[in-house]
Amino acid sequence: MMTDTTQSRGRVEIDDVVIRFKGKQGTVTALERTSHVLEPGTFTSLIGPSGCGKSTLMNAIAGFVTPAEGALRLDGKPITGPSPEVGVIFQQYALFPWFTALNNVRFGLKQFGLSKREEIDRARAALDEVGLAAHADKYPQQLSGGMKQRVAIARTFAVEPKVLLMDEPFGALDAQTRLVMHDLLLGIWRKHKATVLFVTHDVDEALLLSDHVQVMSQAPGRLIRHYHLTQERPRALSRSGNELLEIRDEILGLLHPKTMLADTL
Amino acid sequence: MAVTDLPRPPNATLPRVARVLSQGARTGATLGLPLISFAFVLGLWSLVGLSGVVKEAIFPAPWSVWSATVEMWRNGTLQTDLAKSLGRAAVGFGIGATLGVMMGLLTGRVAVVRTLLNPFLNLLRPIPAIALVPVAIVWFGIGEGSKYFVVSYTVFLTVWFNTHHGMQYVPETYLRAARTLGASKLREFATVVLPAAAPHIFAGIRLGVALAFLSLVAAELSGASSGIGFRLQEARQYVRTDRMFSLLIILGILGALADLVVHWIGKKLVHWEQG
Ligand SMILES: Nc1ncnc2c1ncn2[C@@H]1O[C@H](COP(=O)(O)OP(=O)(O)OP(=O)(O)O)[C@@H](O)[C@H]1O
Ligand SMILES: [Mg+2]
Repeated sequence: MMTDTTQSRGRVEIDDVVIRFKGKQGTVTALERTSHVLEPGTFTSLIGPSGCGKSTLMNAIAGFVTPAEGALRLDGKPITGPSPEVGVIFQQYALFPWFTALNNVRFGLKQFGLSKREEIDRARAALDEVGLAAHADKYPQQLSGGMKQRVAIARTFAVEPKVLLMDEPFGALDAQTRLVMHDLLLGIWRKHKATVLFVTHDVDEALLLSDHVQVMSQAPGRLIRHYHLTQERPRALSRSGNELLEIRDEILGLLHPKTMLADTL
Repeated sequence: MAVTDLPRPPNATLPRVARVLSQGARTGATLGLPLISFAFVLGLWSLVGLSGVVKEAIFPAPWSVWSATVEMWRNGTLQTDLAKSLGRAAVGFGIGATLGVMMGLLTGRVAVVRTLLNPFLNLLRPIPAIALVPVAIVWFGIGEGSKYFVVSYTVFLTVWFNTHHGMQYVPETYLRAARTLGASKLREFATVVLPAAAPHIFAGIRLGVALAFLSLVAAELSGASSGIGFRLQEARQYVRTDRMFSLLIILGILGALADLVVHWIGKKLVHWEQG
């Protein structure tokens, strides 16, 4: 029987994937054999110690890095390179400084061959969605970090990717701005329903945003723990029940094995 | 707390004179301060001239240089020389810069061209322009051809080198962003790679302008019958240091003006690179 196409929009299969890099001291394994499926429209956070391979896994799904073994598939098709079906939000924004906010968004829309009018309208609508309509003609250097990341989000969502990869997108922002960005991201994600993979160092951020939290081991990384979160959004650690707090403690324990060690000694 | 590490608040601790000067730098803008410097040097120079400690024939006073300038203007050689030299510099620069940018884009993007040409071009770079003049004269005679060749060759190598390196340092995240946003190779090149390399290309072009003057005078010093370089050589034969000084100052002013223009154009075109 054929699979239901509406159900398979943005399904990412990570199938026995191993990623290695050739370095000066021989080959290093950046990602141990990993298998996992990101279901369409879900929001998954990836959390783990520095250097465990989070960015590596993400770069492989984005098509920037080719796995040494195994296969990556999007809706059944092998991922062979970067494509507009997989959007990426970079920590350092990666906005083009020679384009205004509006033209940064238009850059992604060019591939659709729209009329100029339509292209501009769509780009404006995307900026409006992130609350930056008034700043459309500013250059990235004239925007704050939070505003830059909002332009990047608008630019990526405007292309309607099936999958959205975010590598510590809010890592460079202050706590206050980060909270605003969480609301914004959840709002837009709910509307566009892309499959999101979100890398973070911040356990609280992962718990507030995700349907699934995947914890990775020390390098060379693999997935060691999975939590499925079903609490209503918007969440807050203080009022979303004790369960989130317990999960938080567990994850912190996994991330800092030394404190666990201290308990057993 | 490490107070010494804090940036010094502007003005607060500076002496009064420095404060006035630094304020001048901000408000009196870019023209005022250089003028102070020029006036200072001119004053010193006049004092030396007035004191008579150095012979005029060796080190002419400012007013002698001025009258030599007027003299060259009156008999029309200055205008012809300027026109000739500027024309040669412009043509040579135009050819060299155009070819340099094109070659830089090629070696920066096409691996085959890079493999075939880069080591060779890098070998050419240390050869000084002056050393080329004899070859140029054999190839192109003492007419315009040899001047164009020497100038465009020198400009070409510098512009090529900077363009090529600009292409190497296009940040990887820009390319990745472009690819995930569905850009074709052509659009990626035109709207991502090129603008990202533009600051380097302009740095090369600016160097190229300076080198155009340098190599032009080198070419004109031997084997030419007009131009600023030729006139310098002629002034040496008649021991006219006043004319030499005049021509040297004119060269300096021309070079500085050309640099200003290129810098200004670069700033307009690469407007996002400031600060
Ligand atoms: N291009 C590369 N070449 C060689 N080694 C690499 C490359 N990229 C990553 N690595 C190595 O792979 C391992 C995983 O790196 P990765 O960047 O995926 O970690 P990470 O989990 O994202 O860390 P962080 O939280 O600090 O961002 C590291 O040991 C790193 O040195
Ligand atoms: Mg990383």
